[in-house]
Amino acid sequence: MENLYIPATNETPEINFRFSEHQLHVSGESYPENAMAFYAPIRASLHNYLDRTQAQGAVEAHFSLRYFNSSSTKLIRSLIALMHDSAQAGKRIVTHWYHDPDDDMMSEFGNDLKDEFRMLDIRVVALETA
Amino acid sequence: MNLSHFADFCEQAVKDGVLFYYKGEFSQNVIGAMTDTLKLRLDAVGVSGPARRKLFSTFVEMSQNIMHYADVAAADGSKTGALAVGKNGDSKYWIVAGNPVRIEHIERIKEKVEPLRSMTIDEIKAAYREQLRNDEHDKDTVSRGAGLGFLTVAREASEPLEYQIVFRSDRMEFAEFYLRASI
Repeated sequence: MENLYIPATNETPEINFRFSEHQLHVSGESYPENAMAFYAPIRASLHNYLDRTQAQGAVEAHFSLRYFNSSSTKLIRSLIALMHDSAQAGKRIVTHWYHDPDDDMMSEFGNDLKDEFRMLDIRVVALETA
Repeated sequence: MNLSHFADFCEQAVKDGVLFYYKGEFSQNVIGAMTDTLKLRLDAVGVSGPARRKLFSTFVEMSQNIMHYADVAAADGSKTGALAVGKNGDSKYWIVAGNPVRIEHIERIKEKVEPLRSMTIDEIKAAYREQLRNDEHDKDTVSRGAGLGFLTVAREASEPLEYQIVFRSDRMEFAEFYLRASI
């Protein structure tokens, strides 16, 4: 299936889903006016990929978000939930959740996801960002 | 406004530690321009690390709150409100926001904000987690987001949120809702 690339804007993160390489990247800031409108097609595309993928190795997901607003929160969580369902069904997925070492909120959020979605391999990684 | 009033206005703003003030229409374009300005303003006064993140997060939540909930009938069809950011002498930052709401929505707002005022930070975080995992919220027809807006602001704040409802004498069906967070 076709890769999905959406460049970053001031209010939305860069989406770089290289399905052909089983590499999924979400990076930047997320505070669009209508978070549902932004994330619904991304979620659909991810869902479609996870349903069909025949990846030999692990699917790798990388979330490097510097900031997201409250209405983006549930939608970002729903992307993780999709991966969790897929992992539960036997797919191998490794999800990296990067956060600035100073950003307690972002590391807590990653650890909460880890607590909630136990069947998914989530790695919370402190990383200096430029 | 004549110049002496403007001079007083500026002087008062400095006394109150105002770093940023806006009143008018709220759209995503306006919010985008404001967040850019706020970032530059915070750079200029040297705010970094967690305080900067908290201020920015609170600023976005409050401005999107105005954009989503300010009553349009109260202002000739546009979403209007006011927002200010400043710093106290004691070095704590504050953010205040205000927008018109319909009288019948006041109870709902109170029900959302009032309980947060007496909760500890751990209780606020627990409520945030619970709401994040609550899929029933989608059935709420008034809410425009995830039901996490006030919880997010409460979570960023270092003191209980303050709010005030100011009834209007000119139009009885509206009131002004003001919210203050201390960072």
